[in-house]
Formats: sequence, structure tokens, C-alpha cells
Amino acid sequence: MAVAPKINVGDDYREKYGFFDPEKFVFKAKRGLTDEVIQEISWMKGEPEWMTKLRLKSHAIFKKKKLPTWGADLSVIDFDNIFYFLKSTEKQGTTWDEVPEDIKRTFDKLGIPEAERKFLAGVSAQYESEVVYHSLHQKLTDQGVVFTDTDTALREHPDLFKEYFGTIIPPADNKFAALNTAVWSGGSFIYVPKGVHVDIPLQAYFRINAENMGQFERTLIICDEGSFVHYIEGCTAPIYTTDSLHSAVVEIIVKRNARCRYTTIQNWSTNVYNLVTKRAVVYADATMEWVDGNLGSQITMKYPSVYLMEPGAKGDVLSVAFAGKGQHQDAGGKMIHVAPNTTSTITSKSISKGGGRTSYRGHVKVYPGANHCKSFVKCDALLLDDESRSDTYPYNDVDAENVTLGHEATVSKVSDEQLFYLMSRGITQNEAETMIVNGFIEPFTKELPLEYAVELNRLIQLEMEGSVG
Amino acid sequence: MPFTKESVEEIASLHGEPDWLRTRRREAWEVYERIGLPDRSEEEWRRVDFKGLDLETFAAFEPANGAAPGLPIEGAAGVLQQRGSQPGQVELEEELRRKGVIFMPLSQAAKEHPELVRDRLFSEVKADRDKFAAAHAALFSGGTLLYVPDNVEIERPILGQYWSSGGGAAILPHTLIVAGRNARFNYLDEFLSPSLDEPAFTSGSAEIFVGEGAAVGYVSLQKWGRHAYQFANQRAHIAKDGSARIFNVTLGGRFAKVRCEANLQGHGASAELKGVYFASGDQFFDFHTLQDHQTGDTTSDLLFKGALEDTARVVYAGLIRIEKGAAHSDAYQANRNLVLSDHAKATSIPMLEIDNNDVRCTHGATVGPVDPMSLWYLESRGIPTATATRMIVQGFFGEVVDRIPFEQARHLVEEELEARLG
Repeated sequence: MAVAPKINVGDDYREKYGFFDPEKFVFKAKRGLTDEVIQEISWMKGEPEWMTKLRLKSHAIFKKKKLPTWGADLSVIDFDNIFYFLKSTEKQGTTWDEVPEDIKRTFDKLGIPEAERKFLAGVSAQYESEVVYHSLHQKLTDQGVVFTDTDTALREHPDLFKEYFGTIIPPADNKFAALNTAVWSGGSFIYVPKGVHVDIPLQAYFRINAENMGQFERTLIICDEGSFVHYIEGCTAPIYTTDSLHSAVVEIIVKRNARCRYTTIQNWSTNVYNLVTKRAVVYADATMEWVDGNLGSQITMKYPSVYLMEPGAKGDVLSVAFAGKGQHQDAGGKMIHVAPNTTSTITSKSISKGGGRTSYRGHVKVYPGANHCKSFVKCDALLLDDESRSDTYPYNDVDAENVTLGHEATVSKVSDEQLFYLMSRGITQNEAETMIVNGFIEPFTKELPLEYAVELNRLIQLEMEGSVG
Repeated sequence: MPFTKESVEEIASLHGEPDWLRTRRREAWEVYERIGLPDRSEEEWRRVDFKGLDLETFAAFEPANGAAPGLPIEGAAGVLQQRGSQPGQVELEEELRRKGVIFMPLSQAAKEHPELVRDRLFSEVKADRDKFAAAHAALFSGGTLLYVPDNVEIERPILGQYWSSGGGAAILPHTLIVAGRNARFNYLDEFLSPSLDEPAFTSGSAEIFVGEGAAVGYVSLQKWGRHAYQFANQRAHIAKDGSARIFNVTLGGRFAKVRCEANLQGHGASAELKGVYFASGDQFFDFHTLQDHQTGDTTSDLLFKGALEDTARVVYAGLIRIEKGAAHSDAYQANRNLVLSDHAKATSIPMLEIDNNDVRCTHGATVGPVDPMSLWYLESRGIPTATATRMIVQGFFGEVVDRIPFEQARHLVEEELEARLG
């Protein structure tokens, strides 16, 4: 049999025919993290040199830092098997058929619009409610408010950016802050000028796209003196992603007399390790409020913190965690009283079900000289069955005079009396339990915008279905 | 007698201890030599500063010397007085002896009643817990066994008193209490020494075995001099329907690292862990407590209250652990700190690990100054500030002092606190 001659079309094509494709630099996604990958990311984004250097320095710190020895076991994370940067076009690897059934079902039950579903499931990279966003955007611009994604901010507001970026959470803060600083991409950037009140909550939701909800997003919010802003991140609907690691950094500066509220509703799919560093510094008579809800992910480790830098500063953390089967929510808050006459409260509500584990981990620290501070921490945990687990680890350190610090926690199951009362009114056990759980987290839901609160209640209802026992 | 392997052998020979105990001392010494000082990056030791403590400089044994102080309480049913490291002198009512109560130095008990001591000694307070526990297990000297047989009730308290008058030595008494089924009694351990220049290494550990249905009250009153570094582990093992009421009073020492633990092993077991402390000058106290609910239908109730003055530092860290099968458990834990000076520092870490849903667990912690409203109220009634403050502090301690298991100890602790308030 004659052997067909082997023809390599690519070979000496150029010489033979005298033409070739112009050499274009195309970023090829590679797994793992090296200095070259970081340089490419920075080059792709067209960043100034200082940022490239900061990224490289952070990478060195990341390599040196150890994983935390407390909390969840993170040793299973394979840092070499992660895509640290993907262009949004490359991300569309998932098709609707690949999206897990339970996620689709939840979309159905929550009544999420079709286009939004595709985005949340990672099928499409863009979901923009253009009209809403643009009219809003115009109004904000008129007020002098900057609300954009963080990459754009670096290009368009370089001075503001450089002044604050990485000052609240330096790369050396912890291993994941270092990782984020090395490979960050996306996130939100907000600047609210002096005295400006932003009436409606700013939601990443208005202009969600892949850039915005990345794996290593970086958010920076600056509230100038006397201003107010409410920022909402995430959404109640589950977000499906094939990325196994989500490691964001959020830095917030709240200047004199200003107030900032940051609401998070985290509902990543249950394959995600969600390791986030969030910190705010608060100056005289200013207020920072973290409203933090964690529903999804396999493991969350997140402790929003407030540094109370000047007298009259106030910090609030309201944290809710729901851990179902196979989930571990290690959440809480930190209040660092640096100045006298500062006040803080932390309220934590957690629910464990079906073998899930919730941990409250918090730290209240009062530095020497920070006299006349007040701090109160309250943790309530609800265990819905005997497979689940709840832990409380509050650290209270007081090093100043006339400081009043209190901590309280309770762990309980759904009370038999409450259940009996509801069931005696003809309500089924499942419905009754759902009502009790919804009541339990009410302090959280009532702080949410209405549409979120409604969705959250529905979501709890879904989670509770079939949990009778 | 320095801190060496030879000293371990010598102490064992001195008391004519049986071979099994000698072996156990040797094993503990091996642990002591093998492990280093606790790593200060570990959570339990992060806030503990034992700089300036050099174990090798201590003498392993202190001969009996110094004038014996009086007894802290009157009318005890039995008294053991230990001077230095020398096994103590015992007095016990004849009637109790007849009922089978055994009360004697631990070294003697190891020889005469191995069936009581052998399986229990260092089974709850383990030698390999840390280097200090290993030193204690290898070099303990004197100490006490109290055994109260089944169904024996003792009306009046039993007293152990440990006195040291020389600095530079290790004073390591160990109390082993074994309560038979339905036994009922109260016990007071008093540790004291004058304040000396040379540092001392002290313990004051206790293992308490509470039999089925038994009720044991145990009070430990620590008044070591300000030269002492104390490392103590007190732990109760509580069987079905047994109850232990452990009360820890820490007043003395330059440094005290105390673990106070209840191991609830049987259904219906209950434990009360109470503590009171008063830290002044440059004292450092660290308390780690554990309420370990291993089975269901168990209850535990913990309250540690203390006042801080001057530049004193206090760390409280407590854990309630409810194991998976421990349904219908009820646990409470509270730590309250009254900070009386600008430079004192309190750290409070009450922790919960709950693995079962059919439980009731609550805890709380507070750190705060004397309540200005209460002070103002008293002052408005014509009471001078100093007196009013004193009254408030007394009231603060009252809540926990009232829970001391027996009256004699309650009066004693009240007097001690009075003296500290000046």
C-alpha cells in the first residue's frame, strides 16, 4: 500500500507563499502563578509601572507567607492548578447544560430572569441592565461620584487610586491579601466627594459582568468628609462558577462625619473556597457598617473589620451565616479601637443544617489610651439537626481604662415550644421551622433592600425544604 | 538537688516508691527532656510571657523548714500539712478511718494502696500536656490521696495545706481525690508561702474522680508569694449522676497559669466550675477552662470573676465542648472582669464548640470599670468614693463567692478578698 506523502501545511509556508499572519500578542491562560504570568496580566491591562512592581512584590510575599493554622483546613487548595487571569471571552466555557440541576432549580424558584440566570450560571459573560445603569450613572456623575470598576479607576483616576490602594490592607497582611494584590482584577471603585449623600444603594448588580465579579476582585471605597454611601455586593441567587478559589480584598476609608454601609450577600456555589479580607478605617464621628450574609461556598473565611482611628468613630458588623451539607462558614468581625470614645457592635447569627458547620470568630481589641470605649458582641447560633456543628471563638483584648466590653452568645435548636405553638395553629412542621428561621435572621433581612430581603426569605425556604427531622 | 534525672531517681528513693511509680516518673522526665518550652505562636501560649523563668535553676526538692502557719479553717474532719517538698503530717478523725476513708501523702498511698492510685494518677492531668506538666509529673513530691468509700458522707471539710518558706525551689504537690459511689464531702487545698526574692516554681494540680452519684466540693486557695511561678492543672472526671463543684481562688504568685477542667463522662453528670481572682502589682494570671460534655444529659456551669489593679494582666480563655452524642446537655460559661486601674489589661476569650443541636449553651464575657451609675448612687447617699468603690467590688465578688461549696471556705475567701481590698 502506498504511503501518502506527509504534508505539513505550516512548514515553510511563509517562504513558499510569502505571506503570514501578523504576530499578535494573545494572552494564553496558563495555570499556576509565576512572575511572568503577573507581568503579563499587568501588561495586558496596560498598568503603570508602580502597579506591576507592587504585584510582583506581593507575589514574593505570597510565596513566603504560611497558610493560617486556624479555622478551616486550606491545605487542599492547589495554587498551581488555578487560572489566575482569564479574559472574559475565555471564560465562557460553560454551557447551560453543564449548570448543575439544583442551581437551575433555585433560579426557577426564585424567579430570576432568563438573561440574569445565564450570567449567574457563568454561561454568559455580560448582563447589563443598561437603561437603569446609565440614568443612574448620569446622576452620580453630576454629583461628582466616581463609581466604576477598579481597572478603569486605575486608568482614569490614577492619583486618587495610588493614594489609597493597598494602604488599608497591605499585601503583607495575610497570604490571601498578598495573592489578591498580585493578581487582582475587577471589583468596584467608589469615590464619594465631601458632603454628598448617595440616595440609592450602589449595586454591582446594575452593571454586573465578568470583570466585576471576578475571582480576585479588588474593591476600594473612599467616603470623603460628611458623605454617605451604601454599596451592595453579590446577590441572593446562587452564583455558579467553576473556579474553586475566590479571594477578594475590600478596602474602605470613611472620613470625618461620613457614613458607609457595605452589604454583602454571598451565595457562591458550594465548590468555592471563599477567602476574603475586608477592612475599613474610620475617622472622627464617622460610621462604618458591614452587613454580611454568607449563604453559599464550601468554605468561607471572612471577618470584616473596622479600625476606629479617631474619637467618635463607630463600627457595626451584622453577620449572618447559613451552612448546609458540606459547608463551613467561618465568619465574624473585628473591631480595633485605636482612639478613645469609640463604639462598636458585632451581631452574628448563624444557622447550621444537614451536617454544616458555622463558626463565629471575632476580635475586639482596645489599645492603650483608647479610654472610654464601648463594645458589645452578640452571637446567636441555631442548630437545626444533630449532625451540624456550631463554634464560637471571640477574642476580647482590653488594654485601656474605662472600657465597657460585653460578649454574649447562645447556641440552641429550634425551640419546641415555638414549634408546638405554630403547629397547633395548623402549620406544618416544615413551614413552622422555616418561619422560625426567617424570624431568627430578621435583624439581618430588615437591613436589606426589599428585593433582596424577599429573595433571601425565599431562598431560606428552599434551603429548609425537606429538612424536617 | 538540681533539676536532673538523678533528682527524679532520688525523690523516688527518698519516699521508697514502688517501681511502677518510679517508671512513671522516669517516663515523665523523658517527656520533659524531649519537649521544649511551649511555642508562643500556639494559641494557648500567645499571651503568656514566661520570660525570665529558667526551670534548670530550681532545686527539685525543698526540705521542710520555716514556721508553720496556722490552719485556715477550724473544725476540719481531717488535715494534711505539708512543709516544703516533704510528705505531710496527717490527722484524720478516727470514725472516718473506721469507715474506710484513706487520707495520706501520695507517695505513701502509692505503696499502700496502689489499687487506688496506679490507674488514676496522671490519667486526667497528663504528663505530656506541656513541659511544665511533665516536670510536675516527674518531680512531684508529697501530695495527697483522699479516698472516700461508697456511700460515705463527711459532714465537715477535709483540709490540705502546702507551705513553702524557701525561694529557688520547685514545690510540686499533687492532690488525688477519689470519691466512691454516692460519697459526699468537701475538700480545701491551701497553697501558701511568704513573698521572697528568689523565684519559685510551683504547681498545685489536682485530679478529682467523682464516682456514680457522688458529690464533691473542691476549693483551691492559691496564696503563693509574689516570687512564685505557678503552673497548675485541675481536672475532674465525673461519672454518671456525679457532681463536682470546683472553686478556684487565685490571689498569689507573680505568675499563674491554671487550667480548670471538667470531664463529664456519665449521663446526668454535672459540674460547677467557679473562679475568683484578684490581680494587682505586676501579677499575670492565665486561666484556661474546659467543660467537656462527652455524653448527654450533662450540665455544666462556669463563672470566673476577677478584679485587676495596677499593671496586672489577666487572660481568661474557656471552651465549652459538646460532643456529637451529648444531647440534652446544658452548659453555661461567663467571665467578668472588673478593671480598677488605667494600666491593667484583661483578655477574655469564651469559646463554644457545639456538635449536637439538642442542647442549651450560653456564654458571656464582660470587661469594664466600676459602674459610674452605681458609684454615683452610693455617693449621693453620702458614702465616700473609696468606700463606695469597695462596696461595689465586694458586691461584684459576692455573686461568685456565694457559690463556694461550703461555709468555712466561703468565710475564708471573703476574708482574703477583704484583706486585698485594704
